Amino acid sequence: MLEAHLHKQLRDFPLDLKIQANPGEILVLMGENGAGKSTVLNILSGLLNPDTGSIRLNGKSLFESVSRVFVPVESRNIGYVLQNSTAFPHLSVSENVAYGMKARHIHKDRIAQQVDHWMELMDIKNLADVKAGKLSGGQKQRVAIARALAIGPDLMMLDEPFTALDTESRQSVQDAVCTCVSDLQIPCLVVTHRVADAREIGDRVILLNRGVSCWEGLPSDMPDAGIQLPS
Amino acid sequence: MQKLWNDKYSVYLCIACLLLCAGLVAGCTTSTSQPATTPVATASATQPATPALSGTLTGTPAPVNVVPATTTAAPVTAKPVPTYTPSEKTLIVFTAASLTGVSKDLGKEFSAMYPGRTVVFNLDGTQALKTQVENGAYADVFISASNSYTNTLKGEGFFINSTVKPLTTNYVTVILPASNPGNIQSLADLAKPGTKIAMAANSVPVGTASYTALANLAKSTYSQDWNKSVFSNVVSYETSEPAVATKVSLGEVDAGLVYESTYSAAPAGTLTAITIPKADNYLQTYTIGVMKQTGSTSTAQEFEDFMLSTIGQQTLKDYGFRPVS
Amino acid sequence: MTFSFLEPDNYWRTLTTVGAIVLIASVTLYLALPVVALFFRTTPELFISSLCDPAVTSALWLSLSTSVISLGIVILVGTPFAYVHSRNTYPGKMIVDTLIDLPLVLPPAVAGMALLVLYGRVGLVGRYLDMFGITLAFTTLAVIMAQIFVASPFYLRQAKSLFEQLDPSYEKTARTLGASPLRIFMTITLPLTAGGLVSGAVMTFGRALGEFGATIMFAGNLPGVTQTMPLSVYVGMQGNFNIGLTISILLVIISFTIMLAVRFLAGREGRHA
Repeated sequence: MLEAHLHKQLRDFPLDLKIQANPGEILVLMGENGAGKSTVLNILSGLLNPDTGSIRLNGKSLFESVSRVFVPVESRNIGYVLQNSTAFPHLSVSENVAYGMKARHIHKDRIAQQVDHWMELMDIKNLADVKAGKLSGGQKQRVAIARALAIGPDLMMLDEPFTALDTESRQSVQDAVCTCVSDLQIPCLVVTHRVADAREIGDRVILLNRGVSCWEGLPSDMPDAGIQLPS
Repeated sequence: MQKLWNDKYSVYLCIACLLLCAGLVAGCTTSTSQPATTPVATASATQPATPALSGTLTGTPAPVNVVPATTTAAPVTAKPVPTYTPSEKTLIVFTAASLTGVSKDLGKEFSAMYPGRTVVFNLDGTQALKTQVENGAYADVFISASNSYTNTLKGEGFFINSTVKPLTTNYVTVILPASNPGNIQSLADLAKPGTKIAMAANSVPVGTASYTALANLAKSTYSQDWNKSVFSNVVSYETSEPAVATKVSLGEVDAGLVYESTYSAAPAGTLTAITIPKADNYLQTYTIGVMKQTGSTSTAQEFEDFMLSTIGQQTLKDYGFRPVS
Repeated sequence: MTFSFLEPDNYWRTLTTVGAIVLIASVTLYLALPVVALFFRTTPELFISSLCDPAVTSALWLSLSTSVISLGIVILVGTPFAYVHSRNTYPGKMIVDTLIDLPLVLPPAVAGMALLVLYGRVGLVGRYLDMFGITLAFTTLAVIMAQIFVASPFYLRQAKSLFEQLDPSYEKTARTLGASPLRIFMTITLPLTAGGLVSGAVMTFGRALGEFGATIMFAGNLPGVTQTMPLSVYVGMQGNFNIGLTISILLVIISFTIMLAVRFLAGREGRHA
């Protein structure tokens, strides 16, 4: 379970957000470009620091401005798929998926087993030895997601994961994400600007406007009018 | 990428143009053939004091007893009557680098004596200038610091041989920075371990002269061991005489072997010198000659006459050069 | 037989085609002919026999060993430097940026003079080193220092630019996956920039190998100690033409070999996105 309260002064406006996500729940963050969505993910991952606030994941404190608690990025165990999927192009698919586990010095037999498992789930097993640089956008995206899931994260975060995908891939990736998240019972944050995506996979939606939440609720209740979102 | 040609005849045209270009370029870049062996052969034949770059530079120098080439006394003419022609003429004079200091005054005086004439000096080690000439560089007059190089060029047909005359002479001396960091009090101290000496490479005339002087000193006064030690103290073989003087005046070496004229002309207080006894010293004879390729033999001859005149000779004397005996 | 190339459309196309070919040919010939001429000026027998000359072998060994050492130092020190420099902002970063480029525009003789004036026996820093008995000028170390000074910009600029252009997302992602900074550098940063770094290293090596002006000023010219191949060519050209020619040809062969080796390596490595 994720509980976070973040406050950070951005260039044009202050970011002030309270977030709560339950295990197995997919929380969708929506808003215009520049509203602060990616910043929220960056802060939660530890790549950026809020000015004040707190982040607690499964009861463990990752950041606490008052008592000066700060867990570094490497130790937060958060699976983060950045925008413009970043599958390492010089490594093969299986090496990509294994990367996080290798960094944690997990035994290689266990790594092999896990890599197999996640590649299967994301339907990229047949590409195991292909260098990720040669893959299509959709395939790279799956690799990035498998790689993030393979470390056994306590929280999954995906930034615009479906943007570069064609309709067919999008559907299968969305399904895969939903399945994995509910199987692992971890909270999941998804940033997207597409209303359709929010309705497809989201359990809850937060609408961000200039750093503050201007609407929260179920995807089905999302107000159509008054939302200026790029299609 | 578009196909470069799809018409048969444009292909033929292209090939023809390409051949034309290749021919032009080949014609322009091919120099008159000079077999590589010739310079080496003549050099070693006429320079008994020049060992191959290798062997002797690191060890004992070959014992040398070079007899200075016999010189005919340079006729000291009375002040010449300038043949004035109204055209502007610039002379290119290839000059041994040791004349760098005196060249400015010589140029001024020549232009004063022959209004409308200017001289451009190309100053470098005589060996470098010789190579340039052999590879096609243009010169009107050539002032060489070494008889053997002069003879080589004469033999190769670059000089108007009748115009080649001795110009001036110079002895070798040892210079030290004014502060004498190496505490050199005598020539014997040159062999002290840890002393840093700069010398010209043996292809440079003053280099050969230095070798000879040191060999003579070893034979007459000090020992072969002394000679060996001196050479093991050499830290750099420079490619021109002024470069040796620079290293000394910068204080980066303890001693250097250069011409007396360089020491005499140095600003007061920058250098000290230790004289090499005349009996052991090597008297370098400079020669001057007009080049066959000169565009104006008369003007070139005027310059040579000027250099040999009382004015030219006096200027050289003022800068520490000695007259031809 | 129709001369179709004389028709208006084809006329222009023929003209531009010929122009293009002439252009390519002239550039190629201008670069290739002088090098080729070297080979024609000597005979194979003369060349082979002069290879054994101590002047040649000592210059060859000295040049290769000093250039390799210089390259090694530039890579070992320059890579982390370029990485830190490109990933961080710090006060004076722009000055450092400009200084990296300085040796490129500075005439080598000036560089040599500067090194001498600083590290020479009576130099600003050298005089203190001299008190401890440390000599820099006129040593093989001076050759290496001169080479590093003039050649390092080639590698530093290349490395700096490569690291700057590398998408930081890769490294960020690796961090979130739990990799330490060293692991990230070795498994992500280096492999993705290796190709460009190698080409930078090649240019650096070539420049170090060919260094003349700074070397002769700061290190001097002593066979076996500081007389590198370029110095040997210069001196040889004036005294022993054949030696100068032989060393020049050797330098051409070495340069060509390096270039071919790099091409071969780059081809095998494959292309990354």
